[in-house]
Amino acid sequence: MAAASVSLVVAAGAAACGPKDGDAKSGGGDARPHKGGTLSVLNAQPQEDFDPARLYTSGGGNVPSLVFRTLTTRNRENGAAGAKVVPDLATDTGRPSKDATVWTYTLKEGLKYEDGTPITSADVKYGIERSFAPELSGGAPYLRDWLVGAADYQGPYKDKKGLAAIETPDSRTLVFHLNKPEGEFPFLATQTQFAPVPKNKDTGTKYEEHPVSSGPYKVVKNENDGEHLLLERNPNWSAATDAERKAYPDRIDVRSGLDSSVINQRLSASQGADAAAVTTDTNLGPAELAKVSGDKTLAARVGTGHFGYTNYIAFNPKVKPFDNPEVRQAIAYAVDRSSVVNAAGGSALAEPATTFLPNQKSFGYTPYDPFPAGASGNAAKARELLAKAGHKNGLTVTLTHSNSKDFETSPEIATAIQDALKKAGITVKLQGLEDNDYKSKIHDVKSEPGFFLAHWGADWPSGGPFLAPIFDGRQIVKDGANFNTGLLNDTSVNTEIDAINKLTDLDAAARRWGALDKKIGEQALTVPLFHPVYKRLYGKDVKNIVISDWTGVLDISQVAVK
Amino acid sequence: MSAFSGLTGFVLRRAVGALATLLALSVIVYVVFYAAPGDVAQITCGPRCSPEQVHQVAQQLRLDDPLHVRYWHFLQGIVAGHDYSTGTSVEHCPAPCLGVSYQSGRQVMDIITAKLPVSLSLVSGAMVLWLVLGVGTGVLSAWRRGRISERVLTAVTLAGTATPVFVIGLVLMIVVCGEFQWLPFPQYVSLTDDPEQWAWNLLLPWLSLALIEAATFARLTRAAMLETLAEDHIRTFRAYGVGERSVVGRHALRGALAPVIALNANNLGSAVGGAVLTETLFGLPGIGQELVHAVDVVDLPVVVGMVLIVGFFVVVANTVADVLFAVADRRVVLA
Amino acid sequence: MSEVLAASGAAATDVSVPAAPGARPFWRRLRAQRAALVAAAVVALLVLVALAAPLLTALEGQDPTSYHPDLIDSARGGVPVGAFGGAGADHWLGVEPQTGRDLFARLVYGARVSLGVALAATVVQIAIGVAVGVGAALGNRWIDQLLSRITDIIVALPLMIMSLALLAIVPQSFPRPVLVALVIGLIAWGNTAKIVRAQTLTLKGLDYVAAARLSGWGAWRITRRELLPGLAAPVITYAALLVPINISTEAALSFLGVGVKPPTPSWGQMLTAADVWYQAAPQYLMLPAGALFVTVVALTVLGDGVRTALDPRAASRLRVGTGRKREAGADKEDTA
Repeated sequence: MAAASVSLVVAAGAAACGPKDGDAKSGGGDARPHKGGTLSVLNAQPQEDFDPARLYTSGGGNVPSLVFRTLTTRNRENGAAGAKVVPDLATDTGRPSKDATVWTYTLKEGLKYEDGTPITSADVKYGIERSFAPELSGGAPYLRDWLVGAADYQGPYKDKKGLAAIETPDSRTLVFHLNKPEGEFPFLATQTQFAPVPKNKDTGTKYEEHPVSSGPYKVVKNENDGEHLLLERNPNWSAATDAERKAYPDRIDVRSGLDSSVINQRLSASQGADAAAVTTDTNLGPAELAKVSGDKTLAARVGTGHFGYTNYIAFNPKVKPFDNPEVRQAIAYAVDRSSVVNAAGGSALAEPATTFLPNQKSFGYTPYDPFPAGASGNAAKARELLAKAGHKNGLTVTLTHSNSKDFETSPEIATAIQDALKKAGITVKLQGLEDNDYKSKIHDVKSEPGFFLAHWGADWPSGGPFLAPIFDGRQIVKDGANFNTGLLNDTSVNTEIDAINKLTDLDAAARRWGALDKKIGEQALTVPLFHPVYKRLYGKDVKNIVISDWTGVLDISQVAVK
Repeated sequence: MSAFSGLTGFVLRRAVGALATLLALSVIVYVVFYAAPGDVAQITCGPRCSPEQVHQVAQQLRLDDPLHVRYWHFLQGIVAGHDYSTGTSVEHCPAPCLGVSYQSGRQVMDIITAKLPVSLSLVSGAMVLWLVLGVGTGVLSAWRRGRISERVLTAVTLAGTATPVFVIGLVLMIVVCGEFQWLPFPQYVSLTDDPEQWAWNLLLPWLSLALIEAATFARLTRAAMLETLAEDHIRTFRAYGVGERSVVGRHALRGALAPVIALNANNLGSAVGGAVLTETLFGLPGIGQELVHAVDVVDLPVVVGMVLIVGFFVVVANTVADVLFAVADRRVVLA
Repeated sequence: MSEVLAASGAAATDVSVPAAPGARPFWRRLRAQRAALVAAAVVALLVLVALAAPLLTALEGQDPTSYHPDLIDSARGGVPVGAFGGAGADHWLGVEPQTGRDLFARLVYGARVSLGVALAATVVQIAIGVAVGVGAALGNRWIDQLLSRITDIIVALPLMIMSLALLAIVPQSFPRPVLVALVIGLIAWGNTAKIVRAQTLTLKGLDYVAAARLSGWGAWRITRRELLPGLAAPVITYAALLVPINISTEAALSFLGVGVKPPTPSWGQMLTAADVWYQAAPQYLMLPAGALFVTVVALTVLGDGVRTALDPRAASRLRVGTGRKREAGADKEDTA
């Protein structure tokens, strides 16, 4: 896919892979990782934002996490263990008050910036505050929604008083006051907004050119707006305070703006410096997979991962004929998941989905299939339901999708659905929109189409950020970006979401998210299609491959090239 | 007329004309793109911004001002530069200021100056190649007209025009870099950093772009040479027994040079188009790749700036070609 | 040098192409060129295939949109099962990776879009070019100045870059093939206008037109009766050279992701989808690339042939080498 328009993945779903059963292998030769060398990162998308306030990451991101330490972070381990949250700058993952509305953190001792000055709790508070400045927008909306009195806060440049919801009683302690119980606050504290920013080094929108490092590497070069990033060791970072980042290579050289097929060509050729190269944003496409799977030595250099992500059909029940549940159910029966999976890259790159929640334990995955249609759809059952709904002679509907070439909401998937629905007597007209146009249409209640392709990725590996934005009736936004596209406002769903958010026992919460997913799924407001699987090549000298279920991608803080 | 007669007057008139063209170009491009639908503030702010935040961004970007006021401001910026606020500080955008990117907060001129060396390296190197290849092939096929070798050359140049640059480039890359590993996968190295690596890395992109353009020049050179060869004075040379090699190489080629210069200037626009494809395919961080990206994320100031800068080069190239013509052929000026 | 520039298909600043000879010598001269005849046959065949696409696919028993998941290997990214991309009696040219759609059917339906878009764009280019060119040549000094400057601006617009930007911002509800044709047509008429203006100026100076003007004919009558027939030759020549350029442009725009969209099969869009499959399923790339190649070559050769046939001087020059003086450039006419 040498396409120019690789879609910008703004939100959580930036990147993903993680070995399902811990099947990641480390590189050949001396398997033990050693310090030294230069790790090359070959990417398609430039790291345009490198300001911790503007980054929208899941768990602190891959490259950003080398420079920014946060209060908590993701566990850098293979598979499901990697979906856990662990302490980073803080001594623990946070101490909640009884109702989970007040969270207290203590910073570790001996934490330093790259210039040797100590990291204080006030710096963490300042880092969060500046993410509220309109010119530094871009991060996840949770802080504004959750912190007391933060709804109208405009950041420290305009409002010198700061946010009262964050207290810093001493230089190592932070106390967060939330306006409602949030048992998953430790997950939020992994995002880069929780990285310390020294106030006297803050240069506003220019800060991203040289952010002050708290992690194992510092930024030496940031050329052409993140197109070429050169990171070198931060001498003031101490492994003693950081149990998560291994930091084997001496230098990390991130090159971007490369065509995705060129990246995969270079990784498979693995010549010269490319032998010590990885990518943090480019998956193997179906064509490349077809080539790689025929070559054993290449196939051994593929990292496979799973990221909490679901591609689905969304309905707007305010638009006829989708107001009729039987029509929605008929479509759910008619869908041919095997051809959709093929369009998404085949069975190695996508797994058919019947649940909205990703098929991972941390999300509370509970298998269910309210409209069992088999692998390739049940056209007869669909016709039966259509007849019941008063469409004996078939039906003509319009399916809206994005034109970006990403194998998820793309024309390929739409045409596969078009072909399957034809067998059930449903004529589908395709409305392909330019990606930006598509996004603004489907997230605006006034222009939302009745029948469209959508996807959702996890802000962190839990059911909460997966179900609440899509199905919580109070999150319907009338004049702004709305994500509850099914316009569901069901009191019993809303109260259950509130009840689960109170839980600080994340396993118990996961079970209830799973049950809630099943209950919502029966309403056929969405038709889950598939969960993507990510496969990525890495160079032949790359060792110590760790792919967690949190990010689903090879973690470059663990990689060694010697 | 009398005050500026002769070459100076001609050059001056052309320069004023070029300036007027550029001004009109800027109006057209600005209006076309800024009258486009789509909520720029919403896109800048991110998908989950509240309406208040979107409004704030819109204010900061002056999106509430009417179009002509914004255009005037834009024009002022190009001539005199202007100041703008980043929130923490007031920044100066020096002339020629093409505005500030909504997406990255960087000044468009900075982005262009960062990307321009790459595109200039690509286009200038490829230009040398396509002129040498194109004119050479053209001369050869005019000289060997009617023979088998001419037919082969004609077929090759036709093939060049008929194959998309993205197919040639991709196949070249897979074969040369992937299979045989004769060349590195192209990755831009600055000329000032390492001239050898610069050329080495750009060889393949140059070749891909040049192969396409060379075909056009080969056809032009051949036709122009055949035409000159048919002219009276050439027949006279022949009649006086001047050798064929000298007739073709010295006299006929001179006749073909003027149209080649004209075509080269005129073709710059299409060559830049080819450069967009080449940069995209090889992942070279030039103007073309940046434009494709800016179009993708609807970064209007960058799109407008890039289109204007390319238009600027095309207009300048055409004006220079006109003047070169005038110098070469005094009849144009005297008329 | 002038028609040479037109022949390059690229651009010409100041061009004049000789007026049309009679129809009969034209056909005689065209027939005399073997390459042009072959090219004409190929073009005719292509047009026929495009027109008969439904018929041909019915003959094969396939259609361009049906999925055949049984013919591809899902675990290996959806590469077609069997040799030569699954080609055989059922699928003459094999099937598309990932979907199993019939490649022959997509190729012949793609011909409709590629040829249609290119022709429509050419019609727009020629219509605007002739209107502006004739207007500039016949209008007074101010009209000429205005139209010529507008033409200069249009020529300065880089086609690929402008259409890339424009196609991305026009709402998607607009039918895509029409839009692509319109955008190419609306941006790339500058050179046609320049050629037409120069040619009209030349014609205007000719005795019979001057005589018509002196005898009090109106501008419209002169245009219709005397100028347009004289313009036919250079315009047809230039149009024949524009078509293959437009085909390539459509393909390039599809490659950059702003051209015709799937499931509409166009060659450019097929190439885009296929280029990564070069190694795993080479025939998938080679088929549309080959089709594009043959079409552009045939149209270019035919265009050359038409030019030679329309231009007796070029033809005679090739035979006996009669000389002629270069015509003065338009700058001369500007101030004349």
